[in-house]
Amino acid sequence: MTAMIELIDVHKSFGHLLVLQGVNLTVAKGEVVVVIGPSGSGKSTMLRCINGLEPIQKGRVIIEGEDLHGTKTDPNKIRQRIGMVFQSFNLFPHKNALHNVMMAPMKVQKKSRTEAEEIARDLLDKVGLADKMDAFPEELSGGQQQRVAIARALAMKPDMMLFDEVTSALDPELVAEVLGVMQRLAEAGMTMVVVTHEMGFAREVGSRLIFMDGGVVVEEGDPREMIPNPKEPRTQKFLSMVL
Amino acid sequence: MGDVANAFFNGEIFKESIWLLVKTLPTVFEVLILGLVCSYLWGLILSLMRLSRFRVLRYITGAYIDFFRGLPLLLLFVFIYYGLGTAGLKIGALVSGVLGLTLCYGAYSAEIFRAGIQAIPKGQTEAARSLGMTNGQAMRYVILPQAIKLVVPPLTNEFIAMIKDTSLMSVIAVPELLFRAKEKMGVVANPTPLTVAAIIYVVFTIPLIRVAARLETRRRKRPTGGIPASGLTPEAEMKLLAADIAGQLPKGGEGH
Repeated sequence: MTAMIELIDVHKSFGHLLVLQGVNLTVAKGEVVVVIGPSGSGKSTMLRCINGLEPIQKGRVIIEGEDLHGTKTDPNKIRQRIGMVFQSFNLFPHKNALHNVMMAPMKVQKKSRTEAEEIARDLLDKVGLADKMDAFPEELSGGQQQRVAIARALAMKPDMMLFDEVTSALDPELVAEVLGVMQRLAEAGMTMVVVTHEMGFAREVGSRLIFMDGGVVVEEGDPREMIPNPKEPRTQKFLSMVL
Repeated sequence: MGDVANAFFNGEIFKESIWLLVKTLPTVFEVLILGLVCSYLWGLILSLMRLSRFRVLRYITGAYIDFFRGLPLLLLFVFIYYGLGTAGLKIGALVSGVLGLTLCYGAYSAEIFRAGIQAIPKGQTEAARSLGMTNGQAMRYVILPQAIKLVVPPLTNEFIAMIKDTSLMSVIAVPELLFRAKEKMGVVANPTPLTVAAIIYVVFTIPLIRVAARLETRRRKRPTGGIPASGLTPEAEMKLLAADIAGQLPKGGEGH
């Protein structure tokens, strides 16, 4: 079976700063891969390379068998199959919740307004925001905004979802509502790559844990084995500080 | 003292001038509306080219914008109407006026549009792109609707300047306010028509100045607390404000 995501020897630098120094990663269908690591380890950059938001200098990114940087590939087409949720929500402030979710199905997939609205209402209901459809982002709490952002990404019916520290900007009491939505998504079989500091989520929901440092994958394994017994010294040091 | 009053506020001439000058307003409005629409559209196109991926396009538009921001509008009017006319390319006075406004104000508004577009956080483009939108779709559906809201106050200021700059068209025989006022002044040998023209100008500009000021405060003070409703970071706000001010700069020393 083809992997959903395959990174082969991915190198990425910003000017002289080397951020990714040969990352290899394979994500199978239905896996929930949780990525942890100190800040500056390249985990967010790796996530952004998966959907081509960041160009890479060397290596290959293969999404469901298609080379993202292939000459015949339209990266916009591939991005439609990869949902992404950001730390800073990035909702469209000039649109209400419903229209935030409806926009991409209508403009990108050319779905009719009725069809897009049906999808959007259903998704907002599923993330628990049935009563907030008409609210603008500035009227919503961080947790609510992030749930709208998840619904917005899901509206494109993606094959996989990327989460980039999606709870880091939230007040502690709002973290659970977002993680809850993500957990349900994982249980429904969604392929997910989750960059996070939430070790509880990693342990309970993650099917694989990746520890990154210095632009490479240092260690990976089953989170339930790796968190209590990390093998690499760098993983041990990091985990001893965050747990 | 009585002489001065008679010179600038001669009752008889005042009355005569009012109707004479009000009759020019359709012409002024025609030039202004065409100038407004054309220059803002041209400015938007220029700003998009200025932010293009293609370096050559960026350089060419950059040079264009600098050139026309640095050029006195009065000279431009004279060049288009008399200069091109002498060279065999005759363009009517009104068209010359609209063309001059478009070339020049297109450059000013391009800088304002650019600042507005750049003030929208990068995350907005990224969110749009991550949903599969092309660059063009992201610009059209996500960035521009937000940027245009931001640039309404500075563009209103531009429009006020444009109203005043229509007076420069008096040198290319556009029958507008100042042109007719000077004509009348010559006939009656009294500057009262200028007073009337001045009053008509401020009748239109002062309300707009008020509107612009109100739009400005409304943008800065929104009930959301520290974060402006636009979602801008304080730095982006400052950048926009700076561009706003910079957009106004060249006009001060120009043509008057």
